[in-house]
Amino acid sequence: MTRALGPWETFLLAVLVLVYAANAWLSPEFLTLQNQVNLFQLSIEKIIIALVMAFVIINAEIDLSVGSMMGLSACAFAAMVGEAGLPAALACLLCLGIGLAGGVLNGWFVARMGLPSLVVTLSTLIGFRGVARILLEDRSIGRFPDWFNALGQRGLIGPVPLGLLSFVLLFVLLYVVLERGGFGRKTYVIGVSREVAEFAGLNTARHKILIFMASGLVAAYAGLLFAARVGAVRGDVGQGFELDIITMVLLGGVSIFGGSGTLTGVGLAILIVLSLRNGMSLMNVTGHIQTGVVGLLLIASVLVPRLGARLAGRVPA
Amino acid sequence: MAVPVLALRDVSKSFGATQALSGMTLELFPGEVHAVVGENGAGKSTMIKIMTGVHEPTSGTVEVDGQPVTLSGPRGARTRGISAIYQEPMVFPDLDVAENIFISATDLGLVQRKGLLREKASQLIARIGMGLDPDRVASGLTLAEQQAVEIARALSQDVRVLIMDEPTASLSAHEAGELRRIAKGLAAEGVAVVYISHRLEEIFDIAHRVTVIRDGRHISTRPIAEVTPDGMIAEMVGREVGNYFRKDESHATPEVLLSVRGLSQEDVYEGVSFDIHRGEVLCMAGLIGARRTDVALSLFGIHPATGGTIHWKGQEVRIASPREAMALGLAYVSEDRRKLGLAMPLSIRSNVTLATLGKVLTRWGLLREGRERAVTQGYRERLNIRMADADTPVGKLSGGNQQKVMLAKWLETNPALLIFDEPTRGIDVGAKAEVHDLIRQFVRAGGAALVISSDLPEVLALGDRILVMREGRQMGIVPHEDASQEAIMRLATGQERAAA
Repeated sequence: MTRALGPWETFLLAVLVLVYAANAWLSPEFLTLQNQVNLFQLSIEKIIIALVMAFVIINAEIDLSVGSMMGLSACAFAAMVGEAGLPAALACLLCLGIGLAGGVLNGWFVARMGLPSLVVTLSTLIGFRGVARILLEDRSIGRFPDWFNALGQRGLIGPVPLGLLSFVLLFVLLYVVLERGGFGRKTYVIGVSREVAEFAGLNTARHKILIFMASGLVAAYAGLLFAARVGAVRGDVGQGFELDIITMVLLGGVSIFGGSGTLTGVGLAILIVLSLRNGMSLMNVTGHIQTGVVGLLLIASVLVPRLGARLAGRVPA
Repeated sequence: MAVPVLALRDVSKSFGATQALSGMTLELFPGEVHAVVGENGAGKSTMIKIMTGVHEPTSGTVEVDGQPVTLSGPRGARTRGISAIYQEPMVFPDLDVAENIFISATDLGLVQRKGLLREKASQLIARIGMGLDPDRVASGLTLAEQQAVEIARALSQDVRVLIMDEPTASLSAHEAGELRRIAKGLAAEGVAVVYISHRLEEIFDIAHRVTVIRDGRHISTRPIAEVTPDGMIAEMVGREVGNYFRKDESHATPEVLLSVRGLSQEDVYEGVSFDIHRGEVLCMAGLIGARRTDVALSLFGIHPATGGTIHWKGQEVRIASPREAMALGLAYVSEDRRKLGLAMPLSIRSNVTLATLGKVLTRWGLLREGRERAVTQGYRERLNIRMADADTPVGKLSGGNQQKVMLAKWLETNPALLIFDEPTRGIDVGAKAEVHDLIRQFVRAGGAALVISSDLPEVLALGDRILVMREGRQMGIVPHEDASQEAIMRLATGQERAAA
């Protein structure tokens, strides 16, 4: 909630510059426009969901069901369009509706029933995935309308496809909401202490449900983007994505206990992870090693601030 | 009775600038029940923590059997035979009685032998004369039975000094009697029992000697035969009053703002009835466990009352949430700043506007930061909040300034009735006087205040009338003219009950 970059954001920016410089030096293709678009495009679903995940975690909750919701939305779309022959536009709307409904389900159990979001969204992670699997079983379904595939694969404005455009617009919108808006203020306060917020008369249950709805909606949207980008859908779309998404948010400086972190930090962390992976791909480093490097980065992101605080002398609690 | 089993010699303890104990002296002999009495905040808890090794004294010595020792942590104290049990017993709900008793036993081998465990547990239970099945799972035990388990646990470690900190505060009269019988039995076996209680009748039932402490100092230690209830109360409260705290004249008007009749909440409190007039300060006095905060939480809609009526400005109302309470014009300044009052890591300005966020938002829901800063600046001047700037995390302010930020938050809601819960606990004397002035200003300007306080001089300095509660019951309402610390303490300890 501060104007300038905080210490963590500054650190991330320095790392990002370093990664970009190293990549540019090691690989001539890195800075080409096409590669820069690719860099986002390959993980576009994850990074869009990550932006809303920042709200969820700052609010002191977690949403593990986003990967499954993404899969459910993509599978539902495929079943409706590829098998039932529904118009794709209508199917898109229905899928977004599924996302909202899933969010309401998560939010209701967490905010009104008082169950831990870890448990609730772990259950829906399994439940949503189950429905997705029932819909498509072992089939892979494609043959979507051309206009739909084009949205996922071709540039909408110049070389910029819909996904990247969505990410940029969503980032700007959510930045304003979180750092400049009353909704964002409430998100922080409730994340610091739901009781303090409740005692101040805030409707914390409604707020949490809204955030889970946004999370479900964006996950469903990401599922549609995936269907359009890849052109075919299977039952395992988005499986395991939730961990990569949460990793990016935490690396961005959002506290897993809620109440702190900025969208700027999350944006920087996303860029770091993407450019690291992209750079390693260009140098033919395998995916497993890439994952290992990102894992090390996360560990460092947890250790560095703590070591820093310890070196700076114990801060009174 | 030559050598005390445990003694504090000239023990002082300070936390930062707060002097919790100064020059405390206490001797405990085998076989005695030694009662320690004092007001809330007199230093009893700190003293217990030093005796059980939780805190180390800043100066002075702790002696066991006449030898100076350093009790390094609760484990060190236990190995020397010093144990404590508290109002809230610590039992593990999923384990059975026997396992709970031997929870920290190390000499039972790696594999616990169920039979041996149960046999030993039965012996201990028999020793304290409770009919408890060692195989019962602890989650089904009553509070009194849980305490018996804790006592048995202490016995299993060859206890020589047993400290009982308000053990009966949450028990029924019958259960409390049982617990006192156990304590007497242990003393007869040669254990030194330290008994801390707010119930004076208990102390006269059980204690051999009584030590009074006040403001972290030792006031007196006497055999029980030489003590009278009135004398003891006088010693507990007997500090000079009137230096900082002076009651000004009442500004109460005839207009009744809030009228409460027979308010009750099952198993918590019952039969609370009072009126608050515009311009009046009504104080609520009582000891720990008097359930005053629960009454306030009902009025503020956190835990709605289950019986009785509330009238607000002549209209009967039901208050089911803080939002509804705030809509009426109520505000609740909580005692627990950290947990319920302030979002500590967030900025001062975001805390000031917390309850009134709508006032600093544009039509599009964006924060009007300039407006927010102006509001914060206004309170900074009006309440004399000492802060660097409005973006400082509120957690970095001193307790008194935090209290003022919390007050600013509620004043900004423009309330008609402010409920204060321990408004000056843990803040220094200067800030205390400022908070008192703010409360007086607020009622002079046409508001009303309900002030819950355990600080008797404060109650006398602020209250136009003083409602005294004890264990969930209203003991009486004392007008300021008739109020004295002794009169309030007699009601709060159940020595008498005023006609309602």
